[in-house]
Amino acid sequence: MIRRFLPDGMLLASAVIFPYSVARIFLDTPIERTMGTAFKIFFFHVPMGWLTMLMAVICGVAAAIELRRRSMTASAVALAAAELGFVCGLGVLLTGPIWGNATWGKPWTGDARQMSTALLWLVIAAYLLIRHYGPSGSKRLAAGLAIFGAVDVPIIYYAVKLWKTTHPTTEVVGSLPPALWAAFWPGLGAILLCTFGLMGLRIRQLVLAEQLDEAWVRVSDREATDGTDPT
Amino acid sequence: MEPILPDLTPEPAPEPGSEAPAQAEVAKTEAPSEDAKSVPDEYAPVAGRSLKEVEQVRMLESVAAQKVARDYQHVIWAYGILWALFAGYGIFLWRRSARLRADMDALRRELDGPA
Repeated sequence: MIRRFLPDGMLLASAVIFPYSVARIFLDTPIERTMGTAFKIFFFHVPMGWLTMLMAVICGVAAAIELRRRSMTASAVALAAAELGFVCGLGVLLTGPIWGNATWGKPWTGDARQMSTALLWLVIAAYLLIRHYGPSGSKRLAAGLAIFGAVDVPIIYYAVKLWKTTHPTTEVVGSLPPALWAAFWPGLGAILLCTFGLMGLRIRQLVLAEQLDEAWVRVSDREATDGTDPT
Repeated sequence: MEPILPDLTPEPAPEPGSEAPAQAEVAKTEAPSEDAKSVPDEYAPVAGRSLKEVEQVRMLESVAAQKVARDYQHVIWAYGILWALFAGYGIFLWRRSARLRADMDALRRELDGPA
């Protein structure tokens, strides 16, 4: 029962928290000294970045399970995670340059974190293209790509430590003053609930679609043995 | 009812050589009396703010206002894109769901048909 309504509940909770988080960000948060008002993009850009990486990891792990056990649920989880990783990744890759243009004066500096994030997004896009348009045996190739995408995640995380980048280091979020933290949590919570709610709905749809396909095959087989035309 | 606009009809020109009674009254009031001389002058120039300084402050304020307006444009674009992406994915899911429901109805009809 709880499992059935969990995605809807998550979406509902997110719909309540979203306006609250926006009110906190715009009405209660002080304007950052050096970046000004453009800093307010941070409150959704960073959670979207984290979610892109999380979705890539979930997709990679589910794809590995799918490869090993040929599980229908793992396949659905991998595809749903990839779709949401694609959406969140696109969000990061579009809001990042907007913020960069406002603060650095340049939308794209081509630093290691930007390039590795763009690479991850392209891997996810390739995975989705193969899953949606590839021939019947291409699921294994897609799973390999998903695992490759998951391997890219630590590279994105440590890019700011390994190379000289325009992005701030990983410690910057931890060192935020309490007023900014208080606005960051609701935004993160809202976007997390929204993403997982949508993911739950998508998994349910994919499992149902697979079951429907199997049911159609069974109906066709039955009608073929009965000698009637299934069409 | 009192008139809203002041009466702008010109006063008749005074006779040459004679002073108009109204002007004479004004001249009388403008002449400093003994009482007025004893009251200190209340006018004092604003100290510490030069015109140049005020202009500089106004210029900085205008630069800051332009920066805030530009920043807000960036913020609106960023937030708009984020919510549009999620809304787009929600619409995609809703359409998929409608297609699945139609497929399920077709299967139900197929199963119920021969029976």
